[in-house]
Amino acid sequence: MCSFCNHTSTCEGFNSLIVPYKLAPQQLVGVVGLEIHAQINSNTKLFSGSSVRFSAPPNSLVSFFDASLPGTLPVLNKRCVEAAVMTGLALNCSINRKSLFDRKHYFYADLPSGYQITQQRQPIAVDGTLTYSLLGGKKRSQVIRKTVNIKQIQLEQDSGKSLHDDLRSQTLIDLNRAGVGLMELVMEPDMSCGEEAAAAVRELQLILQALGTCQGNMSEGQMRVDANVSVHKPGEPLGIRAEVKNINSVRCLARAIDYEIQRQIEVLQRGQTVQNETRAYDSKSGETIPMRDKEGLQDYRFMPEPNLPPLIVYEDNASLPTGIDARQAVVVQKIREGLPELPGVKRDRLVQTYGILPEHSFTLVNEDGLVEYFEAVLKVTKKEPRKVIGWVTNELLGHLKEKDMSVSHSPISPSALAELLELQETGHISSSAAKQVFQEMWRSPGKPASQIIQEQDLGLVSDAARLHSICQKVVDSHPNEVHAIRNGNKKVLNKLMGLVQKETKGRADPVLVMAILQEKTS
Amino acid sequence: MSVISIAAKRGLSLKIIRPWCNLLTNSASSTRVTCLWSSTKPAHVPADLVDKLERLALVDFRTKQGLACLEKAIRFADQLHVVDTSGVEPMDSVLEDRALNLRGDAVVEGDCAEELLQLSKNTVEEYFVAPPGNIPLPTREERTAMLKHSEF
Amino acid sequence: MLGLTIREVSLALREGRISPTELCRKCLNRIKKTQHLNAYITVTEELALKQAREAETRLLQGAPKGPLDGIPFAVKDNFCTENIKTTCASRMLKDYHPPYNATVVQKLFDQGAVLMGKTNMDEFAMGAGSTDGAFGPVRNPWSYAAPYREQTGAAADSDWVVTGGSSGGSAAAVAALTSFLSLGSDTGGSTRNPGALCGVVALKPTYGLLSRHGLIPLVNSMDVPGIMTRSVSDAAIVLDILQGLDIRDSTTIPAPASSLTELPEGFDVKNICVGIPKEYHAPGLSEETLAQWSRIVDMFEKAGARVEQVSLPHTQHSIVCYHVLCHAEVASNMARFDGLEYGHRSAVDSSTEAMYASTRHEGFNDVVRGRILSGNYFLLKQNYEHYFIKAQKVRRLIADDFKRVFNSGVDVLLTPTTLADAACYSEFTQEDNRTRSAQEDVFTQPVNMAGLPAVSVPTALSRRGLPIGLQLIGPALHDKKLLSVAHWIEQRVGFPSICEYGDSGETRNDTGMTKREQTSAV
Repeated sequence: MCSFCNHTSTCEGFNSLIVPYKLAPQQLVGVVGLEIHAQINSNTKLFSGSSVRFSAPPNSLVSFFDASLPGTLPVLNKRCVEAAVMTGLALNCSINRKSLFDRKHYFYADLPSGYQITQQRQPIAVDGTLTYSLLGGKKRSQVIRKTVNIKQIQLEQDSGKSLHDDLRSQTLIDLNRAGVGLMELVMEPDMSCGEEAAAAVRELQLILQALGTCQGNMSEGQMRVDANVSVHKPGEPLGIRAEVKNINSVRCLARAIDYEIQRQIEVLQRGQTVQNETRAYDSKSGETIPMRDKEGLQDYRFMPEPNLPPLIVYEDNASLPTGIDARQAVVVQKIREGLPELPGVKRDRLVQTYGILPEHSFTLVNEDGLVEYFEAVLKVTKKEPRKVIGWVTNELLGHLKEKDMSVSHSPISPSALAELLELQETGHISSSAAKQVFQEMWRSPGKPASQIIQEQDLGLVSDAARLHSICQKVVDSHPNEVHAIRNGNKKVLNKLMGLVQKETKGRADPVLVMAILQEKTS
Repeated sequence: MSVISIAAKRGLSLKIIRPWCNLLTNSASSTRVTCLWSSTKPAHVPADLVDKLERLALVDFRTKQGLACLEKAIRFADQLHVVDTSGVEPMDSVLEDRALNLRGDAVVEGDCAEELLQLSKNTVEEYFVAPPGNIPLPTREERTAMLKHSEF
Repeated sequence: MLGLTIREVSLALREGRISPTELCRKCLNRIKKTQHLNAYITVTEELALKQAREAETRLLQGAPKGPLDGIPFAVKDNFCTENIKTTCASRMLKDYHPPYNATVVQKLFDQGAVLMGKTNMDEFAMGAGSTDGAFGPVRNPWSYAAPYREQTGAAADSDWVVTGGSSGGSAAAVAALTSFLSLGSDTGGSTRNPGALCGVVALKPTYGLLSRHGLIPLVNSMDVPGIMTRSVSDAAIVLDILQGLDIRDSTTIPAPASSLTELPEGFDVKNICVGIPKEYHAPGLSEETLAQWSRIVDMFEKAGARVEQVSLPHTQHSIVCYHVLCHAEVASNMARFDGLEYGHRSAVDSSTEAMYASTRHEGFNDVVRGRILSGNYFLLKQNYEHYFIKAQKVRRLIADDFKRVFNSGVDVLLTPTTLADAACYSEFTQEDNRTRSAQEDVFTQPVNMAGLPAVSVPTALSRRGLPIGLQLIGPALHDKKLLSVAHWIEQRVGFPSICEYGDSGETRNDTGMTKREQTSAV
């Protein structure tokens, strides 16, 4: 049982730490909220027309406004507004018809204007929910559904990047990222451990990728997650929370949170109090370390952004004011109608359409491109989806994961796999032979199954006459076994079967062989 | 027609149209006005707040006079509170009833690294250069000493 | 020739009575002769001559760009001019060369106007005297004209009077006949105040009508570019050219559809109602200014206009409200000046924050630093509601006062522009900058809070021989109507041209045209 969240599962938290308990620690549970910064997938930045790209020569994607040259003013990018509305709708939020921009002041080398433009008072979307799933149960095959409340989604600017050059005691500043549009999503503290947070974040990534509003790659900084962690006894008021930053992957997220929960429990067990502080996750040691604490001294002095009148979005075409330029209007209804299929819906659809199990559907959707692969195979084979799914989620995915490859790089194409499955389905090879062929196909990309079967002589022998004669031979040479069978010991049939298979190098159709042997020994 | 007769015609009392004749505060044409606001006792700004303001603004008070200036500014601002604003919404801007203009998502600027970098006094290759970060500002006394040496 | 209006000199250019290069040289010489005024921070001699030559070519081909082709103009040094030093009269930007032109400057260039130079001001536009800049104070040209000199007896040099501020250099440039038009900025009266004290027409357009892109901001929600000319119809010509939506400034509004390019000659004041706000009879108003105010009221009544006393009850609180909002925005706008990307940079390099702090200490004067500190005080979390929000509420009350008056049938308001004529520098500097600003801005800043258009028109010289101006305030977007009323006044007050008094003898020869100016019709 996971000590942090009471999951009856092999929760990562339980596996990764050895915990010496003193007082009844099971009483203290973790409370986790998340602050996620998702870079908006757009051509240009939030308030300026400079390009958004992952890598480019330093300071080459910087406009006068991004560099905070005096006299320059912000101009809002429509695409960023649409992205935020789309994301808000996908997360069941209420879209605020009117939202406002504010300045948040602090000094830092990567913040040229000395303030960040954000939406503190009235963000674009509020009060949503994210439904996510965990694989739980004894075999991690049970799909457990959970929800987390989304407090709000706000638009804000990203900062530049600082590179610390400790050798020369200086910091190099690259403003390419300064001004890129971000959606800040706040997830309420409805989660209780690392695994839940990781699952929620993974689901969010899938949603954002499906929408196309954010590419969601954490290692590239397209999505950044900070965790707010506290512990308390259920039923009692929430404990003091610490913020954990510097998390670069979903896996690190789970570990960092679980470490922090444990750390806080130990602090309380020692009779001390948890500090309201910011801590950084160190992936090497797996610990969280206190960061420079400016809490007492920080005051962001929020102020309305005077250069940006209120942002208005319209519910539908009917509510557009007369004479408005269509290019100026963001219409919520239109965006709602244009929403692509979301992961949750997709999973349900796959279960309905193909009759596969929820956990298979979960795996399919979780892996980039796997659904497309699966459906491509189904197009070409007559085999039932329920029988294909195992090949895709076990054989194919297993091999891909082993080599850390993505579906798009699979050496076996959907049509090639379909061919293999057809050959098995029509009885040309046995299941075990099929697995062998698969391996060979993996090793020799492009080689069709039929060729491999021929080369390695793996074809199933179904020639009745031939089988009859082999069986007869075996029966004739094993009178004792035959005698045992005739006397009621049917298990010995398997031995005979084994001998037949040996003779045929495992290529005999087992069903036929068994029938023939039974006939001959009856 | 003189103003007085116009006023009489309209039934308006002379006082209303021409109050100023009777209300001149001083006759000398070159008299300068004194402070419009009464100089009551200055607000007291505690030392820790002084330090906090200097850190947040990264601007120093420099002299006692600077601090006195702040205190006067606060006292002046306190006069706002005689105004009854119950039921009044704050006003961000005179354009509060307009909708924000939106821009299309086409790249129209940037790609001017050289132009930008030449505006800066300290650059290395294509980077702006800052001194090491994450070092807290020294204490007030140390800051005063540091700034003393950096007079223009 | 230099005392002509734009209209008159434009005609002279087109008729070939003078060429653009000759005109340009005359102005450049005049600048040299009036150097003691310190109106210019940078004189752009080479550029001016180049632009003049280009204008000349166009005129010779009979293809002038418009009424401003070949016309010398000056620009306050807080407007960005590409590759031309733009300092805001501050050490912080003493060597700053912006890489772009402010929109309004670009528009003037596009019309063929010829740039004489960047004019002097109070540092970062903070002040009401143009005495607190890094390059010294600006002197009022009327200090050297006969009426004043006869008055003081002593050498004008020791008893010169201020121009008012913060656009003092721009006002002096036009008043001293070194250019035909200049741009200032108006946040609390910074264009109207020096306009009145220097005897020129000073227009503050409706907020949003002229683009602020490239205007280094003081208070974003109140700043507007201001127009200074020697006649009201000149101001109308310039307004026409400069107004309009700018996609680079999200706070611009479309120019009103019915834009008269020509001011009506036979404007009939019988159709208008002039409001006299009783609260504008403020303590400290000089007897002479009062007399001018009455004089113009009489003029209106005699001509059949309806004159009514009105009330703007929150006037007395306006200056405090302005003080809080102005300081808060200043604190925010000045945060970008840290020495990293542009501007002055301190040699201190122990840490980023230390470098920022010393850069700002070295680069800003006491006035600027004082406002930044008090602005930050008002924005602190614990003070925000109490000061900033409160001031925003009072701002609404002030704006509503105006709305109510204009909705009750009043077309324009007539008020003084300043308390009195210009003060001697020695006397002016006895009070600190903020006190002075609070006093001097009394009649002008409520207009900025409400975003309305206002114009100052010179009406007479005081007993000391110095200009007195009166202010007209109109409803939003009624700038042209406002100018029509101003024009009517201008035609009747007979304000003398500085040419009549001459100070260097040279201009006396050119006074042939001056009488025409006062009847304005050309």
